[in-house]
Amino acid sequence: AVEDIDWDALTVRGTCQEIEKRYLRLTSAPDPSTVRPEEILEKALLMVQNSQKNYLYKCDQLKSIRQDLIVQRTRNHLTVKHNFTANQVYEAHARFALEVGDLPEYNQCQSQLKILYAEGIKGCHMEFAAYNLLCVIMHSNNNRDLLSSMSRLSAEAKKDQAVQHALAVRAAVTSGNYVLFFRLYKTAPNLNSCLMDLYVEKMRYKAVSCMSRSYRPQVPVSYIAQVLGFSNGVLTNEGSDEKESDGLEDCVDWLKAHGACLVVDSNGEMQLDAKASSSTIYMPDPEDAVAHGDSSLAVNDFLTRTS
Amino acid sequence: MAYPSMGEAHRRITDYLNKFCDAVSYQDVASLAQLFSFSSNSPSLLSLADALNFFQDANRLIKQSDKFSQFGEILAPLFRSLQSYRLGNLVEAYHAFEKFANAFIQEFRNWESAWALEALYVIAYEIRVLAERADRELSSNGKSPEKLKGAGSFLMKVFGVLALGTVHLCRSVIRSIETARIFDFEEFPRRDKVTYMYYTGRLEVFNENFPAADHKLSYALTHCNPLREANIRMILKYLIPVKLSLGILPKTCLLEKYNLLEYNDVVKALKRGDLRLLRHALQEHEDQFLRSGVYLVLEKLELQVYQRLVKKIYFIQKQKDPSKAHQLKLEVIVKALKWLEMDMDLDEVECIMTILIYKNLVKGYFAHKSKVVVLSKQDPFPKLNGKPVNS
Repeated sequence: AVEDIDWDALTVRGTCQEIEKRYLRLTSAPDPSTVRPEEILEKALLMVQNSQKNYLYKCDQLKSIRQDLIVQRTRNHLTVKHNFTANQVYEAHARFALEVGDLPEYNQCQSQLKILYAEGIKGCHMEFAAYNLLCVIMHSNNNRDLLSSMSRLSAEAKKDQAVQHALAVRAAVTSGNYVLFFRLYKTAPNLNSCLMDLYVEKMRYKAVSCMSRSYRPQVPVSYIAQVLGFSNGVLTNEGSDEKESDGLEDCVDWLKAHGACLVVDSNGEMQLDAKASSSTIYMPDPEDAVAHGDSSLAVNDFLTRTS
Repeated sequence: MAYPSMGEAHRRITDYLNKFCDAVSYQDVASLAQLFSFSSNSPSLLSLADALNFFQDANRLIKQSDKFSQFGEILAPLFRSLQSYRLGNLVEAYHAFEKFANAFIQEFRNWESAWALEALYVIAYEIRVLAERADRELSSNGKSPEKLKGAGSFLMKVFGVLALGTVHLCRSVIRSIETARIFDFEEFPRRDKVTYMYYTGRLEVFNENFPAADHKLSYALTHCNPLREANIRMILKYLIPVKLSLGILPKTCLLEKYNLLEYNDVVKALKRGDLRLLRHALQEHEDQFLRSGVYLVLEKLELQVYQRLVKKIYFIQKQKDPSKAHQLKLEVIVKALKWLEMDMDLDEVECIMTILIYKNLVKGYFAHKSKVVVLSKQDPFPKLNGKPVNS
């Protein structure tokens, strides 16, 4: 990442006035006329945030802004006059990354934000504390990481709404409480739901495994669709019939894709045959499985590498 | 620095080499350990260092004789380390010492018994001291001090290094200890066995392997000197949550004796089936439980508390009407929870019931249409009996 290069010896004062600038990775001292000063970078950030273009464009522009910041060592410099901090750039980039599910980019920004927050530049630190907690839950089976993340939360953080939501999600995941999980999904603040998205498949599978073993003889698919977040509408007059039936269809498709046994009862309603399903449901291999960068941090890999 | 003559340097080095080999042959651990206590700054070690720096080619001396060359892998880095140490290059001294230590432990494994254990202690001590000094040198040069962390990887090869907080890396240490053919566990001093079982037991708690944690921590408890109350307390702090997870409750007098009253409400909650009390206890001692790492274990006791509550409802119903007792209406359970100030709706309680059945804490099934838990006529609330809850 741009942030890993030692820029100490290369500090410059930029003079470039271009608001839009593509990212070109620097490996040596840059020409000051190609680097944008802070006032221009502020405008550039605003431009990106208001842009209608796609994520790849925004990501590229933001990387370029980040590089110009680092090169001028303005990362640590708070300009009260412009109320512009490096925080905003990383926070903006992190949010865009979350929205499209670009986790490696999100993690990069989150690492930088941790450093900035620790230096006292607060920004939206609560919002990101919640994301951080959700990441730990969703991504590692490691109890130690989870415990240390939870114990590091300040008393102030625990009162924050987004953090409380994340903690509630944590409790739901740990106890396998699928009803609570999908309720929390619907009421997720900020971009918490983007991170919960990473766990939805697993949670649904756990829920249906549980249901197959515990219910007899049947469970209405409409009920499953409702508690497992397939139906978008809540039981209000807001929900149109179309939305409800879409949710039902999605649920049926999902159940079939996971080997569930479905029957139609005497009233014409779709039911899950619990007993039969308990021996036929399975988790299919994801077709587009790509090795996640962070898997290299798995403990077992680490141990085999050091032995 | 008084440099010796060439002949004098030669003599000092060969003297040392002979001392080393003799110590190994006669299994004289005291003499052996003295040979690498750099931090003692003994005159003999310092004068050896001077000799090495002057002579410059000690490796030739080592290779010259079979007696010495068999320990070449150990001695060469040891000499390099001592030389750097004498010249004040602590980072270099540390690197070489680490090589020496690793080579030493390889050799240690080949010896028939653990006679050189004391020497290993000394090496562990010296490596730590050197790492700290090396880190100071690094810091003063504006570099990041990471030698202490590196020293940890050696220390892990000897025991668990929980003091450095690298819990998850202990697995490699434990593996090497438990598979090494010469490490007869029983040969170690009792104090070490208790310590070892305590730390590995704690690891098992983190990984939620409750039967293994129970075995190890119980061993530590029974073999711990009963007069060492502080140590017993430390063991119990982890053993109690483990036992609770296996359905075994401690007596209040035990909690009182060892000042572990933070578990009092948890035990009460389990006995009564009082979820509100469990949640309250977790909240009240949240920081403490998070820091010690038992929070998640205690939180999981929730299911056992629910089981107890449902069991109580069953008994009450049985008294009123035995023929209908095995059918529990969901709304009755919801009401009971509301009475405990746990405001949960039908869907959520239904979910909890399905989880209880799934984990075999309740035997039976749930009839969704009639919203009834239908209990098995035989043993509807199986006891854990020392086995953990199904995951």
